[in-house]
Amino acid sequence: MKKIIDVARYEYIHHVAKRRFWIALLGMPLGFLLIMALSVLFSYLSFDNEPVGYIDQANLITQPQEVPEKIGFTDIFIQLLPYSDEDSARTDTENGKLQGFVVIPVGYQSTYSVTYFSNKQPSSDVVRQINRLIRENMLLQEQIPHLERIEAGSQISLQSLDGSQSSDGTGWHRIFVPILIGILYFILVMSCGGYLLQSLVEEKQNRTMEIMITSMTPNQLMIGKIVGNLGVGFTQILVWVVILAIGLLVFRDRLPFLGDLNLSPGYMAISLALLVLAFIVSAGLISIIGATMSTVEEGQSVNGLMVMPTMLPFYFFQTFLTNPNGIIPRILSYFPLSAPFSLSLRMAFTKIPAWEIISVFAIQIISIALVFWLSGKAFRRGLLEYSKKLKLRDLFVKEASNG
Amino acid sequence: MDTIVVNHIAKYFGETQAVKDVSFHVRPGEIFGLLGPNGSGKTTSIRVILDIYQPDKGNVTILDGPMTEEKLNSIGYLPEERGLYQDVELTRNLTYLATLKNMTKEEVEQKLPTWLERFDLSEHQKKKTKELSKGMQQKAQLIAALIHEPEIIIIDEPFSALDPVNTQLVKDLLIELRNQGKTIIMSTHQMNQVEKLCDRLVLIDDGTVLLEGSLKEIQEQFATNQVLIQSDSDLPENLPGVERIEQEGLYYRLTPSDGYMPYAILQELIDQKISLNSFEIAKPTLDEIFIKVVKEGRNGNEEDN
Repeated sequence: MKKIIDVARYEYIHHVAKRRFWIALLGMPLGFLLIMALSVLFSYLSFDNEPVGYIDQANLITQPQEVPEKIGFTDIFIQLLPYSDEDSARTDTENGKLQGFVVIPVGYQSTYSVTYFSNKQPSSDVVRQINRLIRENMLLQEQIPHLERIEAGSQISLQSLDGSQSSDGTGWHRIFVPILIGILYFILVMSCGGYLLQSLVEEKQNRTMEIMITSMTPNQLMIGKIVGNLGVGFTQILVWVVILAIGLLVFRDRLPFLGDLNLSPGYMAISLALLVLAFIVSAGLISIIGATMSTVEEGQSVNGLMVMPTMLPFYFFQTFLTNPNGIIPRILSYFPLSAPFSLSLRMAFTKIPAWEIISVFAIQIISIALVFWLSGKAFRRGLLEYSKKLKLRDLFVKEASNG
Repeated sequence: MDTIVVNHIAKYFGETQAVKDVSFHVRPGEIFGLLGPNGSGKTTSIRVILDIYQPDKGNVTILDGPMTEEKLNSIGYLPEERGLYQDVELTRNLTYLATLKNMTKEEVEQKLPTWLERFDLSEHQKKKTKELSKGMQQKAQLIAALIHEPEIIIIDEPFSALDPVNTQLVKDLLIELRNQGKTIIMSTHQMNQVEKLCDRLVLIDDGTVLLEGSLKEIQEQFATNQVLIQSDSDLPENLPGVERIEQEGLYYRLTPSDGYMPYAILQELIDQKISLNSFEIAKPTLDEIFIKVVKEGRNGNEEDN
């Protein structure tokens, strides 16, 4: 046990103590924020918020546009100003006080056509605001009771057939946690798997491996490495989750769906436990790759294949939403490398029987045992094969030799 | 009780038989030479001893039983392919490898300065491995093999990257360790070092044992009664009782005729008033024995085939 801890600690510190780890760690959310900020900035700079004039020849507008008390940085609002005649509106447009003006002609109720005068195309926001102004004023004339509520639409409640799952919204917020699990799993395999692979192949390249495996068993070495790299991954995730949590906390008023998130302990425990088990399976497979490859570059290209199964549920996302108990979502739940995201996503939309959850976990544990057994063989046979790549079938038929 | 008993081990790699039949035993407190040409099966035999490979036939007994994790901790190993983390500073490298041999960090901190001092590496301890010379890396690797004070030391080509000063340093260390009762297996091609250090040796080629015994026994076995003399005088072309005279640098190698012993040649030289600076019975060098035995072994195999 001491040696496993020693290896895990070394692996962890070896990566976490490096400056490049922190640059990559903080660079990702900062880069994301930078892209967000730039896109907002570019939208803001390209957004024309000059007022638009309107001449109401049809006498439809009895209630002018409502001006919000406070307009936020990201709020889109284009003021619509009434004009009595076309000439004054044209003059203001030519002087740059207006971006354009619209004429609502007499007989609009029969043609439903207006003319927009400007030297440039109206933006979709301009069109939307003009339409809204006309629509609301026409509906006002109809004296429809509870008009505002009708416009807001119905509140749709969802309930599963057996009554076990219910939701009072459209349900899109329920994919938040599964998607987060899917992304975390992807990142774990991508980055920690990469670290693990790099560490194994480097030890092979720098010949440290021969000393390692005369100090401990191959399985001790592998477990230590997996635990250490898992720690690196969780450090990464922890930092990102903290940044995300701070972000959500700061903007909680603007994200009302947060209150609807399913964060029940059982659901979270199953999702996270499956995430860890699946990573161990992936790490075991990565160890086999590491043991059979002779250079880091070779290993990295093969490691890309390991990442693909983690993404499988994304490709069948629509199927998960429409039929979470269908054949594809079920298969992907049982497949060890796609299970964390798949099962978490299904659990968000349907009730999964206990036996099925137990089966998914059982398959993960059997897979871990199998992968460890195989990687133990790979370690013995592949790690001392310095010069050439070991084929997978070689693990079963022959051992490596250096004379 | 022998420290290591290798009992008729064989190891296949697919169709290739790297070790056919190797047996030898290593006694406590001796330096044992494991010799053989490249590809003879030395490294594979070492890896079988260390339990990296399982033998297909035969078995290995270490300290009166099979290999265990505890026994691994009492073995120090310097592999043929040297290995240290290149981007890690020396102290951290050695501390990590020592903790894997069950030392605590405190024990390493206590012992490491003495080792670094002894190998003249103290001022380089903060350097990364890749910043050290090849010889320094080799010395660092030796520290990694020895710092946990193992009972059994297995070293593969310990002098390969060392200058004469450091070679002497390592030789003195090995002798010191033997005097402390440590058992050492040394695999090397440097026969002069084997002659100076090893108590006993085994010579393997083509996966089989060609020779095993003490250096003295082996040299006696291959002795030819030749004598080596050093003289300021020129030797006559013919000397009674001498079949052949060959000059080898400052020495003359004299091969006696059938029935003549070295003392008879000495008597003849004295009778002929030839001044002698030295006179010694020429023992075959290990190099000569090595080449002779390997060649004979290979010729024998060809004839068998």
